[in-house]
Amino acid sequence: MTVAQPDVAGRGGAPRAPMTRLLRSELRWVLYRPRTQVALGLLALVPVLIGVGIVLADSPGGGLLTQVAGNGLVLPVAALSISLALLLPLTVTMAAADALAGESSHGTLRGLLLAPVSRGRLLAVKAVGVLAVAVAAVAAVAAVGVLTGIVLVGGADGMLTLSGSELGPGSGLLRVALAAAWTVGQLAAIGAVALAVSSATDHPLVVLAVTLGGVIVFGVLSALPALEWMQPLLLTTGWRAIVDVLRDPLPFGELLSSSYRAGCYLLIGLALALARITTREA
Amino acid sequence: MTAGSAIASTMRVDEATAAAAIRVRGLRKTFGHTVAVAAVDLDVPAGAVLGMLGPNGSGKTTMIRMLLALSRPTAGSVELLGSPVPSDAGQVLPHVGALVEGPGFHPFLSGRENLRRAAAAEPLLATAAVPGAVDDALARVGLSAAAGRRYRAYSMGMKQRLGLAAALLVPRRLVVLDEPTNGLDPAGTREVRRIVAELHGAGTTVLVSSHLLAEVEATCTHVAVLAEGSLITSGPLAALLDGDAPLLDVATPDVESALDALCSESVGASAVPGGVRVELIGIDAASVVASLVRAGVAVHEARRARAGLDELFAQLTEGDR
Repeated sequence: MTVAQPDVAGRGGAPRAPMTRLLRSELRWVLYRPRTQVALGLLALVPVLIGVGIVLADSPGGGLLTQVAGNGLVLPVAALSISLALLLPLTVTMAAADALAGESSHGTLRGLLLAPVSRGRLLAVKAVGVLAVAVAAVAAVAAVGVLTGIVLVGGADGMLTLSGSELGPGSGLLRVALAAAWTVGQLAAIGAVALAVSSATDHPLVVLAVTLGGVIVFGVLSALPALEWMQPLLLTTGWRAIVDVLRDPLPFGELLSSSYRAGCYLLIGLALALARITTREA
Repeated sequence: MTAGSAIASTMRVDEATAAAAIRVRGLRKTFGHTVAVAAVDLDVPAGAVLGMLGPNGSGKTTMIRMLLALSRPTAGSVELLGSPVPSDAGQVLPHVGALVEGPGFHPFLSGRENLRRAAAAEPLLATAAVPGAVDDALARVGLSAAAGRRYRAYSMGMKQRLGLAAALLVPRRLVVLDEPTNGLDPAGTREVRRIVAELHGAGTTVLVSSHLLAEVEATCTHVAVLAEGSLITSGPLAALLDGDAPLLDVATPDVESALDALCSESVGASAVPGGVRVELIGIDAASVVASLVRAGVAVHEARRARAGLDELFAQLTEGDR
């Protein structure tokens, strides 16, 4: 056996490529690919469109959007809430579809397994890549939302909560950050489930169809009164909780329970993906 | 058939065990009711260049995939460089370079970026050595000039070369190339032969699969012939080529008079399209040609017919299928 080079981590005698190098390579690949950049660019347009729409309209639309007028820091939260319905899950699912099914269809998964990268490490690297897309997507919506809110809508001096109180600009931004972090958690759950599907197929389109189909079916199920008992099981049930960051004092109940539910989906998704990827023929 | 014994039996058993770069026992793979590989035994001595010959669909790629732990055998065992696979794949695969089922790369990255990505996963490559190893591998396959172009703009031959470069990123002890000359022009084919010869010269064991006998004859020291998932024969190339009675193919328009002349000297011969085939028993090729010329037969060409492998392979690939 050739002696492994000094900077090569090893366990049980098997030489392994350094994890940081694998992660750097994966993040480069994920964030530099054209479709990711296009998706991030389009997501960044969402808050701009909402902002422009509100400024141009005489009377703002219904729901959360009524709160945005003259209250710029609510814009990023509204944009996150609207994007979470479909656009953000779509972006994350796309990344997860490319992560395993896409690599497999290009024949590049084989190369990684032959290097070799152990299948457990491969899943870990891929999960980090998908999470990176989730974070980048949410950051794009939130950051452009804050900028648009301040520049177009105005009201940078604070945030008017749904409860009627006024928060300073610092705590306003903190609320936006909380909404963003919570959204990343929900997207991580979707990403994990999508990775599980991705580990079981060679066709990225199947991943997209199954995962987004699932999100839509969940939405339908939660709308049926007869299936109310199912509510606690559905990931989408807690998605209204994002509005809670606009209340004062902050009610943590729903935010926490929906995050907890996302954690369960995350664990189940990753466990299924791991089980599948270790037996998969590449 | 207990194939592979032809190679191993020439050595003492312990020597064979120590020197086998690939050791396969009872390897079998089924997909449902289809038997892709049926009970193959094979030994490849370290330092050999094994040509794995077989028509399309004979189980070459399935077998290579099992050797490389990409696919689990239904039954049987595989040892690469002395380590059992797939259980010790993590130990042995860093020393193995492979091009399997065509090159696999990302279309939106350049050739160099694709190789960098592959190099990042190579356990035996120090991080500081990655850029150098990538440039060396690109130079070795003649892609330095096109390294900055996107993979999607590559021709088929360039894609194949990049796949070869990925297998050569690290000095390997075993290199497995599945149909490496697919899509290459004659110059590219010669280059692959040169690379295989270089690897052989450096003591690397090479496994090349091909459906072209000429390809294998040009580069290999050993041959294994697969058909319908079974190993038909295997052994050193020279032994297989000269396995049967040596034959001489003589190209001549005067078939009748040639047969008469040879018959009068009690040399076995038969008519074949474009000439006669002479059995070289008790007579050498030069004497045959001399006696034909003495008999006034026009000899256009005379060459040794490599009966064994040639015939076998012709039967396999052109037979009734």
